[in-house]
Amino acid sequence: MPRGNRDKAKQNLVGYLFISPWLIGFIAFTFWPFIRSIYLSFTRYNIVTEPKWVGLANYKMLLTQDELFYKSAWVTIKYAIVAVPLGIVAGVALALLLNINVKGMSVFRTIFYLPSIVPTVATSVVFMWLLNPNIGLVNRILAVVGVQGPAWLSTSPWAFNSLIMMALWGVGGSMVIYLAGLKDIPVHLYEAATLDGASSVKKLRYVTLPMMTPVIFFNLVMGIISAFQYFTQAFVMTPNGGPEDSTYFYSLYLYNRAWKYLDMGYASAMAWILFLVVIVLTGLVFRTQKKWVHYGG
Amino acid sequence: MGKQIKKWFSIAFVAIVTVVVFATNQSTPRRYPARIPVRFWHRWQGDWEKQVQKIVDAFNESQDKYEVIALSTPASGADSKFIMGVIGGDPPDVMSMWNGAIPNMADNGFLTPLETLMSPEEKKAYFNDSYPVIRDSGMYKGRVYGITIGSDLYALYVNVKQCREAGLDPDHFPTTLEELERWGDKLNQYDKNGNLTRLGFVLSSLDYIAYLFGGGFYVHPDGTYDLNTPQNLRALQRIVDERKKLGFEKVLRFNAGLKNSAGAAAWPFMTGDLSITFDGQWRVEELRKFRPDLEYRVYPVPPPAQNGKPLAGTISGNFMIVPSSAKQKEGAWEFIKFWSGLDDPNRAAKFYNLGGWLPLSPAVTNSPNFQAWLKENPQFKAFLQILASPNCKPMPAIANLQFLNDQISRAEDQAVRGTVTPKQALEELEANYKKELDRRRALGYDN
Repeated sequence: MPRGNRDKAKQNLVGYLFISPWLIGFIAFTFWPFIRSIYLSFTRYNIVTEPKWVGLANYKMLLTQDELFYKSAWVTIKYAIVAVPLGIVAGVALALLLNINVKGMSVFRTIFYLPSIVPTVATSVVFMWLLNPNIGLVNRILAVVGVQGPAWLSTSPWAFNSLIMMALWGVGGSMVIYLAGLKDIPVHLYEAATLDGASSVKKLRYVTLPMMTPVIFFNLVMGIISAFQYFTQAFVMTPNGGPEDSTYFYSLYLYNRAWKYLDMGYASAMAWILFLVVIVLTGLVFRTQKKWVHYGG
Repeated sequence: MGKQIKKWFSIAFVAIVTVVVFATNQSTPRRYPARIPVRFWHRWQGDWEKQVQKIVDAFNESQDKYEVIALSTPASGADSKFIMGVIGGDPPDVMSMWNGAIPNMADNGFLTPLETLMSPEEKKAYFNDSYPVIRDSGMYKGRVYGITIGSDLYALYVNVKQCREAGLDPDHFPTTLEELERWGDKLNQYDKNGNLTRLGFVLSSLDYIAYLFGGGFYVHPDGTYDLNTPQNLRALQRIVDERKKLGFEKVLRFNAGLKNSAGAAAWPFMTGDLSITFDGQWRVEELRKFRPDLEYRVYPVPPPAQNGKPLAGTISGNFMIVPSSAKQKEGAWEFIKFWSGLDDPNRAAKFYNLGGWLPLSPAVTNSPNFQAWLKENPQFKAFLQILASPNCKPMPAIANLQFLNDQISRAEDQAVRGTVTPKQALEELEANYKKELDRRRALGYDN
């Protein structure tokens, strides 16, 4: 082997050795379970004993007999339809506000970013108190203006709405990405728009938003994926699926099937259906990007 | 010189941090390192955890072969944690588990049949002497998978002062549910906006109350089931009617504003927010500890005037299980015997009294220690009455019990909210159970 090639092979080996701890972890704890769950979804499996092949039975039952499967899927889709666009609008709006050059802006940015690094369980517990119908801060404030607030987490549809409201609490995470996107827009575009006599609204409509579309696209894809995996808040705040199953999210139902009823095969089938839905939706969003996402300046 | 000092300071600092990090990473040193460790997981926290530790200490001091090491796990995720332990090959040797989770674990081969650890004498004593309803609550397909150390029953706690203020005599308690509801009406208090400020009494918990109406939830050994029965419908209808009368939203708001009802010292009955409330027998011990000044009575829930069954209900609570892959089954069994009182009922009586739990057998109940405690806590007798009653039934011993329990709660919740009528709720409950049963059977499960 020529010396140059040998050096390159050695370099590659060193590179792989450096990432080997991550690589081994990824294969053992992500890739292998991922592949294995395909097989498990065609079995009756309780984790301890050997899986027993049942063919398409799990999928057939899910799709033809399980009402809760459709109910929980609908709750999740509804959440994605409302929370993802709302999160994008709120994130962009917040980023635009926090992009203004005023004194102490970094403090405001930090304040708005902070909630997104608070652990989800802690946030959920805080919101349970805030939304308490009798002693919660939200209803206390509503009472001041003469409105009797609802029993937020115990009545439908308020339980679902509460979770949507709570999603906005963590918008600081995407806001930072939007801010970075805003900073990336070349100044000369605004200068040209000013010379053409464009108003602020027109600059926003024809310069800022189009230039932000790659970042919005990224957040849209990530938002859809995380909305379909929505679990922790629903599990902590309404563990039994909430009033009239209104917060029985797909992942919560999947978790209950797996760990409460020890139906790992059925849960694996649910996970694969979820995966396929997310793949299809992400694919659809990717296909639309040519029409509305503008790359380059 | 200054640089040298700085360098040494840095080295010393790093050394101290390293020592602290590694030292704190060590688990608590064992008290009896020479003994065989028996790892015990349980689901109690707060004051209860302290009581459990007392029992563990008593066991460790009573012999010199084993050391039981207790670990408290959060009650809500205890079953998942246990399963993870079994899968990971690192389960506890013994665990106290909610009995509703036991059949499914037994069906899936997670648990050791406990009669395999019993001597012939112990087996005879267990099957002959235990309260039948408690014994059956730990059994699945004719085998013992759980032995009680803390079973629970429910009855009514009555605030004497509030009853007297409302012109009611707490020593002549209603003998019918209808009369009790009238008492509740008299005890309710409202603010100027019509919001409840004190709840007299509200009927709930279909899974328990149904038995008082002559109903209940049964799955028979041949696979047939009684879920949507006229008796259960009467029970659910009564719960719904009661709640409608009070106002669903009003009760919901009132309950949400109460302090944490699970907390030992913050039970709303202790603070006077509830006049007559349906709760478990462990509250007797809590009241003795935290509100010895509060005058109260305990009565079994009276049955309805028509076709009711007195002293009815169903058992739940903590049962000791031993994983099939436990490393120290003998030690686990010694600990179970010690706590449950199979070998010494009089000694075990003290353990049951620590948490206010129901005893395993009449032998424990009749022991001098238990009787002495009962003299000081006469209100506990109401629970013993229910326990000895033939109308007190175990939960169905089926693998999908958790599913059934979820469906019962769901039916009650939906009916109470008015989303469906009680009749529709029970029809849906039975249909869902049938569908799930068919699904499981198609996959090769028995039930």
